[in-house]
Amino acid sequence: MANKNNVIVRIAGAAGDGIQSTGELLGKTCSRMGLHVLAYNSFQSAIRGGHVWLQMAIGPEKQTDHGEEPEVVLLFSKTSPPVHVPDVKSGGTVFYNAATIKKEEIESIRSDVNYYGLDLKAMADAAKLTEVNSVMINVMLAGAMVQTLNLDGKVTLEFIKHKFLKKGEKVVELNHAIFNLGFEWTKANTKPLNLNLKGNNIPKLFMSGNDAIGMGLVAGGLKFYAAYPMSPATGILHYVSTLAQSDKLIIKQVEDELAAINWAIGAGTAGVRAATGTAGGGFCLMVEALGFAGMGEVPLVTVLVQRGGPSTGVPTKIEQADINLAMGGNGDFPRFIVAPKDLEDCFYQSARALNIAEKYQLPVILISDFFLSEHFETVDDLDFSKIKIERGKLLTEWNSSEKYKRYAYTDDDISPRVRPGTPGAMHLTISDEHNEYGHLMSDIEAGLPHARAERIKMHAKRMRKVQLMIDNGDVKPPTLEGDTNAQITFVTWGSTYGYIKSAMKLLEKEGTKANHLHFTDIYPIPREQTLALFKKCKRIISVEANMCNSLCRQILAETGFEITEHINRWDGEPFTGEYIVNELKKKSIVDKQLVNA
Amino acid sequence: MTANIIDRKERPALDPKDFKGDVHPDWCPGCGDFGVLNCLQRVFAELGIPKHEIAVISGIGCSSNLPGFINTYGMHTLHGRSLPNAQGFKLSHHDMTVVAVGGDGDGYGIGVGHFIHALRRNMDLTYIVMNNSIYGLTTGQTSPTSAIGMKTKSTPFGNPEAPLNPITLALGSGASFVARAFTGNPKQVVEIYKAAIKHKGFAIIDTFSPCVTFNKVNTAKYYKDNTYDLNAAGHDTSNIEAAFTLAIKDTYGTDRIACGIFYQSERPCYEESEKNTLSTPVVDHQLGISPERAKELKATFQ
Repeated sequence: MANKNNVIVRIAGAAGDGIQSTGELLGKTCSRMGLHVLAYNSFQSAIRGGHVWLQMAIGPEKQTDHGEEPEVVLLFSKTSPPVHVPDVKSGGTVFYNAATIKKEEIESIRSDVNYYGLDLKAMADAAKLTEVNSVMINVMLAGAMVQTLNLDGKVTLEFIKHKFLKKGEKVVELNHAIFNLGFEWTKANTKPLNLNLKGNNIPKLFMSGNDAIGMGLVAGGLKFYAAYPMSPATGILHYVSTLAQSDKLIIKQVEDELAAINWAIGAGTAGVRAATGTAGGGFCLMVEALGFAGMGEVPLVTVLVQRGGPSTGVPTKIEQADINLAMGGNGDFPRFIVAPKDLEDCFYQSARALNIAEKYQLPVILISDFFLSEHFETVDDLDFSKIKIERGKLLTEWNSSEKYKRYAYTDDDISPRVRPGTPGAMHLTISDEHNEYGHLMSDIEAGLPHARAERIKMHAKRMRKVQLMIDNGDVKPPTLEGDTNAQITFVTWGSTYGYIKSAMKLLEKEGTKANHLHFTDIYPIPREQTLALFKKCKRIISVEANMCNSLCRQILAETGFEITEHINRWDGEPFTGEYIVNELKKKSIVDKQLVNA
Repeated sequence: MTANIIDRKERPALDPKDFKGDVHPDWCPGCGDFGVLNCLQRVFAELGIPKHEIAVISGIGCSSNLPGFINTYGMHTLHGRSLPNAQGFKLSHHDMTVVAVGGDGDGYGIGVGHFIHALRRNMDLTYIVMNNSIYGLTTGQTSPTSAIGMKTKSTPFGNPEAPLNPITLALGSGASFVARAFTGNPKQVVEIYKAAIKHKGFAIIDTFSPCVTFNKVNTAKYYKDNTYDLNAAGHDTSNIEAAFTLAIKDTYGTDRIACGIFYQSERPCYEESEKNTLSTPVVDHQLGISPERAKELKATFQ
């Protein structure tokens, strides 16, 4: 049954066809009308060619799932039809570029969908438009899409003006004319869909997860970001770079990830809020320095955006298999790991990460994934006033007659941190084990009785900060959402959050009640509170975009609770609600067979 | 504090003893690194830089223990990572005087990638490499500057690899200040270090700092007998071709070894490109986003 105020569409072609800008036209039209959009990008590591598609779910409510079968599809390149026509919902509509795709070929694929080929050159010539470039088919097909979805074309025209004005009035006029050609042709030649997409007319933000992370870091007081480009984390570097001059930020692309994290540690030591970001492979190179931040008690935020691994792996696809990596490093050191669940969460958790890093003087890892970081979605609002910058025990004066101890033992195990440059408190930030003053003990003292006692005390001081975060309530247990009496509990982390919501809706229609236990704070995990939540659950099933159950292993290690039923996906595509429901059904069939046997 | 990118005032000299650290150096008696430490303390004192306005940042190795023996701010970082930490620190608090120190393994081996990029980036900091052509702290293996044929614990049949030439590497990587010094000639070391710290840009001083325990070839006597002052010999430090001609001479063979400032240029330091952001040190910037600015940031996504 087609949901009348909800639709799934797809825009597909080759890299270089302008799929992103078509998606932007459509997305901005919807977000400016006050509709919600969730757009999932599927692409490969090629700059030109290949198969690129953008699938968008549009509706008045927050969209949590890009869905399986699109109802309307725009196809740009001759390689597109065999890949995408089979996916179209029966009775759906396909608009295609008649200059690259042959009518007979596309229509022979299946007969239960409606095909409309648009010929840019013929239509532009008939309208006597000049300087028309073949790539402008994307504006024409956007016109077709806006009309067929019964969206407000004036909003698109306004956005086109906003987007192209810096290229001059003429470019705006030409794009308007081409958009209108597609829009009017569709009005005259096609049956409108039975759709009522009504927004609340309050413009929403339409952004990616990486944008939201970047904005959250900046809102949280970030002054310094060093990184080396690596998909899918590069978007953060791109976003914060645009603000470097206007907001007086130091943004540096450096020679490698070893440099990136160490630049950030140098900055953090100096006393600015610093972060770095990378994907799994780059994070591997950073791990030694992560331990340095732990040992040296330097505030540091590292964003780890997961992609398909191991090694170079699958750069442009999703996987959630890097908790072990975030937990990595030689020896034991305190850290905090947080995984945002959606775009709003990317914003708020990034700011929170900076606060926790500075309050506890330790490395914080914010884990995202390809889907969360790279997909575009509408956000109602981001409330900057909710963000309070807490710098912890940072001092810019030292007037005591006592000699300053950088690593002083204190009641709460957090040592006052005097900012370098302050008279009278000279000290070292150090990667060797050390005493309260920061004098190293490895060279001539290690092993002597007093040094052994110091090692025990200093190491324990650092590690106690882990429990302190829990005791202070700064680290949260997972959240249990939905009916507490549900037969099934899904356990998730990261971007899988939204898909469970959509799976729960589908299950409810079929009369199955499920609830949802979602982990945002991945380390440490408050043990007692978490176990109490597990106790309330009946059948517990983890849902993770990986093969080896990264989160379940973390839960087992941190709480002793073992989850034995899993739904996994590691083909590189994100879950959908439908996918999860199907997997659940397969499990139930197996269960029944076992019972019958 | 004065902002280094704008001006470096002449200041009254201080007492070198002020720069003595809490911890007595644990280097082997006779180690060249004592010479670097003493010279650096003298230089800071003679330049009159208050100790809290200095950060000495090292990697790992015998020579990288130096920050622990000097009474300034500092970092004792990871093996090979002194320069990334020093550059991040410097941009965050650019009116402090930042000196990176370490050994030849730290800077020319594991950290050489950072070295090359620091040279071309030309940030306003000083890098002293205590070069002894051996890995000392790990008890005597070949280093990037060990001579061909040198017998060490890891090359018992002789080192088959040609040594890296730090001076040509620096000259070829866009360095704006390149010098070589020998700890046996403290007067010249002090002069060079002073010029390096005053230089607005990245200054590298490859400093022969002989290892008395594991390198029996490149000894203090070897350098005493074979080095000469290239600046006293009339070298033009603005002439990069002349600098290369001197730099390609073999330091392990029959050529005399030139010490002094090879090259200095006045190209703008990195900080000049961030003048607006660095109008006040970043550590003093107000954090966060005003409500008006928040609106603007959000508007770009609407």
